[in-house]
Amino acid sequence: MAKDNLGLVFFPAFDWMLSPGHPERQERLLYTRDQLEEEGLFDCEEIREYRPRLAQINDLQRVHIGVPKIEKLITPAHLTSAGGCLVAADAVMRREVKRAFALVRPPGHHAMRVVHGIRGFCTVNIEAIMVEYLRSRYQVGRVAVIDTDVHHGDGSSEIFYNDPHTLYISFHQDGRTLYPGTGFPNEAGTPGAWGTNINLPLLPGTGDEGLHRLYDGLISHILEDFKPDIIINSAGQDNHFSDPLANMQVTAQGYARLADKLQADIAVLEGGYSVESALPYVNTGIILAMADMDYSRVVEPDLSGLRPQDPRCNKRVDELIREVGDIYFNREKTQKEMLAKCRGVFSRNKSIYYDEEGIRETQRETVHYCPHCDGYFTISTAADNTRFGDQNAFISVIPRHACPHCQAAAKDEALHAKRMQRYQYVLIQHVIDGYIEEV
Amino acid sequence: MLLGIDVGGTFTDAVVLEQAEVVAQAKHPTTHANVLEGILAALDKVLTEDMPAKLERVVISSTIVTNALTENKVAPVFLAVMTGPGMNVSGKFPVEPYYVEGCVDHRGKITAKPDWQKHAALLNKKQSGVCAVSGKFAIREPQQEELLADKLRKAGYSKAFLGSELSGELNFVRRTNSAYFAAAVYELFLDFCQKVLRALYQRKITAPVHILKADGGTLPIQVALEQPVEAVFTGPAASVLGIEALAAPNMNSISLDVGGTTTDIAFWEKGLPLMAKRGANINGYHTAVRSFHMRSIGIGGDSKITRLAEGGYQVGPEREGPAAAVGGAVATLSDALIVAGYVSFGDTNKALEALRVFGGDPILEARKIVQAAVATITATIKEMLTEWAKQPVYTVDDVIKGTEFIPEQLIGVGGGSLGLIKAVGGAMGLPVDIPKGAVVANAIGAAVARPTLSAGLRADTTENFYIIPESGKKERLPRGFNKQIAMELLSTWLRNETKSWLLPDQETELISYEHFNTVHSYWDSGDIYSLRMQLKPGILHKVAGKEVSF
Repeated sequence: MAKDNLGLVFFPAFDWMLSPGHPERQERLLYTRDQLEEEGLFDCEEIREYRPRLAQINDLQRVHIGVPKIEKLITPAHLTSAGGCLVAADAVMRREVKRAFALVRPPGHHAMRVVHGIRGFCTVNIEAIMVEYLRSRYQVGRVAVIDTDVHHGDGSSEIFYNDPHTLYISFHQDGRTLYPGTGFPNEAGTPGAWGTNINLPLLPGTGDEGLHRLYDGLISHILEDFKPDIIINSAGQDNHFSDPLANMQVTAQGYARLADKLQADIAVLEGGYSVESALPYVNTGIILAMADMDYSRVVEPDLSGLRPQDPRCNKRVDELIREVGDIYFNREKTQKEMLAKCRGVFSRNKSIYYDEEGIRETQRETVHYCPHCDGYFTISTAADNTRFGDQNAFISVIPRHACPHCQAAAKDEALHAKRMQRYQYVLIQHVIDGYIEEV
Repeated sequence: MLLGIDVGGTFTDAVVLEQAEVVAQAKHPTTHANVLEGILAALDKVLTEDMPAKLERVVISSTIVTNALTENKVAPVFLAVMTGPGMNVSGKFPVEPYYVEGCVDHRGKITAKPDWQKHAALLNKKQSGVCAVSGKFAIREPQQEELLADKLRKAGYSKAFLGSELSGELNFVRRTNSAYFAAAVYELFLDFCQKVLRALYQRKITAPVHILKADGGTLPIQVALEQPVEAVFTGPAASVLGIEALAAPNMNSISLDVGGTTTDIAFWEKGLPLMAKRGANINGYHTAVRSFHMRSIGIGGDSKITRLAEGGYQVGPEREGPAAAVGGAVATLSDALIVAGYVSFGDTNKALEALRVFGGDPILEARKIVQAAVATITATIKEMLTEWAKQPVYTVDDVIKGTEFIPEQLIGVGGGSLGLIKAVGGAMGLPVDIPKGAVVANAIGAAVARPTLSAGLRADTTENFYIIPESGKKERLPRGFNKQIAMELLSTWLRNETKSWLLPDQETELISYEHFNTVHSYWDSGDIYSLRMQLKPGILHKVAGKEVSF
């Protein structure tokens, strides 16, 4: 019999919540725990159990810049769920298991690079932290992140927006009908990374049929072309037909078959708030599929809420296959045109809302391209109404493999910002080791 | 006066205790073909004329169930399961089960009922033998399991074992296997118990008779018949209790009970042995049988020494014995321990001579042999430490605190203990404590074992019921339900159960507690309480050991 197909990090954080009654509450994985225990999954030879560890602050800072400091914005629960992902990564990279699933909370895919507070239930982006850990610790190069949460993973998208080595694919309920309201096909990346940020907004009511039509017709081809060294699944489960926060029609079988086709190296739990009717079954299905076990018997006991898919859903899927396929497969040509047009410097403005705390942030991000490396970028940020009052900062980000010239230029910009005395904080992020330098 | 009988691999021991002192003890070679014969022989050696009237209790730790299971000499069992949705369980049980489509979900709601018409062929035929029945989440709603068992009994099965009656804890596969193995050994165990009772009656012993369980607790023989699988692996359990009776280490300790053939390793915290978090494995199948966090490895004083082709030695798992120093034919681990200077007994020259077959300087070779045995033992201890450290954690608090077990000392008991444990202590850098050990520690352990009983309670205030799975009863919640009331309900049930076993009242304690607020469509809908309590575990009293093993 095959053994150790799947490493499972199960951490339900029974002592962490955002607030009583919040979807992110202690109860969220209670029934999932009960189902997994009752099934006897932890006894299976195909599944090896791991416990999470606490991530280090520099693990977080390879991705995030907390203002004023990331330590002041997180709780030990965040270090544990991020640490759970790192344990999953270690298990796969050391070849102790074929694949791993970090079934952990709190989630992370709405957390962006700069952190002023909590948005979309997330403070730190646990997948992105894992990706940068994989690169620093195991020299992994090309990464694909497939986000199967019903919400656009705007945090992950923002973090990888300027990273041509990370393919980020998110399918989600159309942003015109659901938080966070973003995730349209034209949000495809900065000029240097155009086409590696793939958004697939689906019509409400899309079910297993439409989802697999999209996977078979587009996502699988993109993955085949991109040739990632590692595939990560942001395994949100709120496309389920019973989810209280969204309007999709996917079943446990739909999710399990997707996990089976995707064969992700590492999956990380994201959202999913039908804690009683969906999560126990969807998680069991994903675990069995990832462990190469029979998942055909995982069917929700109550399918009365499941509606047949509207014909318009498949029509939208077919449009996306055409439109987004064009963006992706012509991306190199488009990149050249865009880079030529912007002449080495590209800026974008962002307006970011932290729904959990009512914080409004405005950002200007400027990317400096370089013929010798991936360049560097700077962020100027101002946020109102944070736990620390109104605050602003200037940040220079030095990506890994930045050439000496770009490193020096990034530092010069930080020093210049400091001299202008317009910012409370001037910081330099060294991605490679997660060191944040205060200027 | 307490009587303990322990059936071991080599000897069957009987011991009589009075006021925490051993007043009589005897050994008789174990009679493998007919275990009862050896039990009675050992019993008759300690029994005096006035003893039967003074005996308060008899506890038997026998290999009868273990042997039947490991040698697979068991009755055929009809196994029916109600799996509902989830993992494919084919191959998870010793037999291919018969599937019935009833289904209960994680909240204890019945989500599908069996269509009995479909099973007419099974239920209308005249059946015989024993059966086992198990349903997923039956511990939250046992109705359908009970109904199916009733129908099978009516069809002619003499006895039905229910998964939810054998364990109140989550894990459908383990409960099913427990029910299956209970059914498999039932008739054989029943026959054994009847013979024991008859033989004791003939000897005018009327004291209650208890059977030792794998978790070191005892059960009155009548109750044991309802869960015969619990009487598996009692040898190592008796060993642990023996150590508890003789030493009861109060710091984090690792005990090594070194016998002739095997060494039993157990962990201790605050004077109590640690229990395995899930259940015991029987013939490669996972069960819900509670047992100690312990391992037996094939290294003992009489272990065979093999020189490996690539150099170095392997000690055990075959038994050679006795040691050359005490008249055996070839060198064993004990001889190496004598020559290497860890112990002195028997004839050192004979031990030295026997080691010459390995060539070289016998003293140097003896050290290498001891090192090989120590390496195997320390490797096993490390595995056990890792296994313990990997137990799941569900709260941030536990992640920060950690649940590692950090040993502070070693405790050694058993025939060949002293030398080997000193060597292990040296290798691990831990102090070694050798309590005054009786050579009948296992029988003493059996004699002083306490009844153990644990049960869970799960209350769901939205659904307005609570269930104690071990009782099989689902009841409406009393008004003003809270943690305090939950504990009182469960404690009362446990104490009533002990009373019905004619046992003295015992204190109960809380072993786990979870409380969750439940929310439906954004509003608080209620609470889920889930707790487990047990009779305080341990032994009746400590025993002063008189005989030192060397």
